[in-house]
Amino acid sequence: MELVERLTPSMRRVARMFVSSDAVADEVVQEAWVGVLKGLTGYEGRASLRTWIFRILVNIAKGRGQREARSVPFAALAGDDLAEPTFDASAFDASGVWSTLPFDWRGMPDERVTGRETLAVIGRAIASLPPMQAEVIRLRDVLGWSSDEVRNALELTDTNQRVLLHRARAKVRAAVEEHLGSVST
Amino acid sequence: MSTDLVCREVVELISDYLEQALPADVHASVEQHLAGCDGCTTVLEEFRQTIAMTGRLTEEQVTPDQRDILLAAFRGWALA
Repeated sequence: MELVERLTPSMRRVARMFVSSDAVADEVVQEAWVGVLKGLTGYEGRASLRTWIFRILVNIAKGRGQREARSVPFAALAGDDLAEPTFDASAFDASGVWSTLPFDWRGMPDERVTGRETLAVIGRAIASLPPMQAEVIRLRDVLGWSSDEVRNALELTDTNQRVLLHRARAKVRAAVEEHLGSVST
Repeated sequence: MSTDLVCREVVELISDYLEQALPADVHASVEQHLAGCDGCTTVLEEFRQTIAMTGRLTEEQVTPDQRDILLAAFRGWALA
């Protein structure tokens, strides 16, 4: 039961990426748990249990999305900026060297840097990312899943998992930089 | 033999560098660049610190607020 409580919030969010409403997402999650219980004897332990559960979930969610005639393009979930540089081009000169050094917050008092305000900034930054970027950074950096677990659970290629994570982290770092830069003066 | 990387390239490799996911020669090139570049070292350390802070958040703190959705629904209700 603890597992159900622990995984259900992420499962709802992931299901919601593929279906049209929260209510349908809840149905998908319930259906996935039924599938997990039915299939548990077939679980061979090759993937981690939570990865295996997510694969069942994503399968059901995608099938449900298709039946709703709601095929969500990958770019809508992953963000349409994946091929672009994560850092603003204006930070570099023509040869690719820093023209303006990034704001260095390491000289600031620790309680200021890692205080509640900064954590709130990070929380908001993650919540505003494109859904798949947000989910990858939640599973990796908030919940501590491995890159293999996340890649398998969300049916991403190794490259996509890494690109999504880097992009998410870069945006969160930029949000922290902006916040600390504005309070440091 | 390592290739020279510029800052604009190095900052795009930082997550993979931290994850030890780069080919050995590229990893070495990033390392070499970082040893002589304050700007990129700053970004690397800030990535590390951002990841550590992100790890201190709870799942509730990074999920769009359900209350906002509820409040929006109620606002629509009151106006109807």
